[in-house]
Amino acid sequence: MTNGAFEVPAKGGFSFDNCKRNEMLLNKGLKAPGFLKTGTTIVGLVYQDGVILGADTRATEGPIVADKNCEKIHYMAPNIYCCGAGTAADTEAVTDMVSSQLKLHRYHTGRESRVITALTLLKSHLFRYQGHVSAALVLGGVDVSGPHLHTIYPHGSTDTLPFATMGSGSLAAMSVFESKYREGLTRDEGVKIVCEAIASGIFNDLGSGSNVDVCVITKGNVEYLRNHVQPNPRTYTSAKGYTFSKPTEVLSTKVTALAQRAVVTERGDAMEEE
Amino acid sequence: MEDLGLNAPHSMGTTIIGVTYKDGVILGADSRTSTGVYVANRASDKITQLTDNVYVCRSGSAADSQIVSDYVRYFLHQHTIQLGQPATVKVAANLVRLLAYGNKDTLQTGMIVGGWDKYEGGKIYGIPLGGTIIEQPFSIGGSGSSYLYGFLDQAWKDGMSKDEAEELVKKAVSLAIARDGASGGVVRTVIINEEGVTRNFYPGDQLPLWHEELEPQNSLLDIWGAAAASPVPMTE
Amino acid sequence: MSIFEYNGSATVAMVGKNCIAIGSDRRLGVQLQTIATDFQRIFQIHDRLFIGLSGLGSDAQTLYQRLVFRHKLYQLREERDMKPETFANLVSAILYEKRFGPYFCQPVIAGLGDDNKPFICTMDSIGAKELAKDFVVAGTASESLYGACESMYKPDMEPEELFETVSQALQASVDRDCLSGWGGHVYIVTPTEIKEHILKGRMD
Repeated sequence: MTNGAFEVPAKGGFSFDNCKRNEMLLNKGLKAPGFLKTGTTIVGLVYQDGVILGADTRATEGPIVADKNCEKIHYMAPNIYCCGAGTAADTEAVTDMVSSQLKLHRYHTGRESRVITALTLLKSHLFRYQGHVSAALVLGGVDVSGPHLHTIYPHGSTDTLPFATMGSGSLAAMSVFESKYREGLTRDEGVKIVCEAIASGIFNDLGSGSNVDVCVITKGNVEYLRNHVQPNPRTYTSAKGYTFSKPTEVLSTKVTALAQRAVVTERGDAMEEE
Repeated sequence: MEDLGLNAPHSMGTTIIGVTYKDGVILGADSRTSTGVYVANRASDKITQLTDNVYVCRSGSAADSQIVSDYVRYFLHQHTIQLGQPATVKVAANLVRLLAYGNKDTLQTGMIVGGWDKYEGGKIYGIPLGGTIIEQPFSIGGSGSSYLYGFLDQAWKDGMSKDEAEELVKKAVSLAIARDGASGGVVRTVIINEEGVTRNFYPGDQLPLWHEELEPQNSLLDIWGAAAASPVPMTE
Repeated sequence: MSIFEYNGSATVAMVGKNCIAIGSDRRLGVQLQTIATDFQRIFQIHDRLFIGLSGLGSDAQTLYQRLVFRHKLYQLREERDMKPETFANLVSAILYEKRFGPYFCQPVIAGLGDDNKPFICTMDSIGAKELAKDFVVAGTASESLYGACESMYKPDMEPEELFETVSQALQASVDRDCLSGWGGHVYIVTPTEIKEHILKGRMD
């Protein structure tokens, strides 16, 4: 990666430059920091005319709630979405990467992406890293061959199921699915069961919390219901706000005036997308 | 807290079996996929298609066995096109062996390849952990197979009919399901002969009951209701 | 001990009405021994974009150099400044590239985007973005900062009130953290000006 005197932007792939140093620090007894995790409940089910995905919205860093309302249902393609659990950076990176590969593939073929293509791209990436890229995914979408739901494990194995749960809250959510799922659910019944499954993760699993996100995918249509249920509203806000009796002691203040922003007018026609 | 092994790699603590009979082969498998002690999938399909006439039973790491069978299926597609006729079972099994042996340091998977071709008829090949290949009249694999060696030594006969052979496979897998905690769910079978392929599915409540097994019940309360007038009191 | 605790740090960013604040402590230590009390953890990328780098001091400086380099390349090619969202993606990509041998740095990004829309975000050391509407925190005092900001923040604060809130939250939090403190450094960015304040803090 190093090119003569300075580093040029990398072409892609991982860099292991710091590994030796980090190992040395580790051997000196300095522990490596924990990463942002989504100790999560994510679920998906197949219903009458499509697929419904669901997720909670808590991100954790050790015992700390790092984000109370994060998004765990990632966009893959216009007709495919993917819930992610595990190390947040990994789920984000792997779904973004495959999503861009799918878009290039669509430009190349001029056809709608298939769920199986997304599945293969995801599993081959995860298998290559032998579980070190720790992303556990629930992949759902509707394509020419109908609705599809898959789970993908960090080691690269996949399952195809009518209903699926993943993450630390998967046991709680699965107990709801196992008792309430049946074939031929309607949209509203499906959304209700998904919300119940996520809610059981939110309330029974400490790694999951906050709100319920839902994504309903049907042939030619996607409904992304962000914060569809909010069972944990904030209860401790003071209407009066907060006042400080003693102001902060300031040693020095430096004011830099900013130049007005130059206004740029675009000319010509914008390029069309898709 | 007890470690449920939820972060363990997906593995198929499995029972898989392949037997030859008069006109072809029958493959059988349970349907349990587990991560530690959690059943991640109770209805998985461990009998995977490689070509029109060759199937493979997978055991061990789910990720490893899937990638091997995906590669072999891809190679066989190419091979079939180049050859202009269906691949033989031997070729399929040899490709599995090639990958299993070449990557034996990293792969944790044992497979049974079975199928029918016009040159050799029905054939079963076992490819266990290290990547060796063994042509056998019948082969068993996975954690459940330890309970089956003696049984098959006694019960397998040369030149069985299709029904006899499928009954044997069903019996063997259900026996292993009864004794092996890592195997369970349903029994799936695949019958391959000159006529083609038949897939069968036997749910848990249609399997024979073995020593000390209970009749399937919708609710445990039904049993309690029959035995005692009031529910069993809880004790700590 | 964690590598994050080697030098000690506290950084915070908060959103106000058409303005943002980003603040940090000024201590650099080697475990419990204080080495410097004027250490810079907040860096200016362009007029309306700032990044605070908590964690290992050496990695913060290395990362800052790489980010400035990449931003200058961008300015040369595009003849404009990066949007905060774009910059956050760049930081995330640079950190994730070192997924298996990370920089021990947790960045906090704050800036004003197009139409002076406030943007704040933080990441873990391998680039998992966490976008927030209200405030973000990082460093060894992050736990106290979460609590302080959670109770002191209110939406749509004017620059003066935002400064007071951020400063109070920062001071209150570093006073409960042995590894950060010794004064603070707070920037308030509005569409027309940047106010850089140096705060007086406890010296123990």
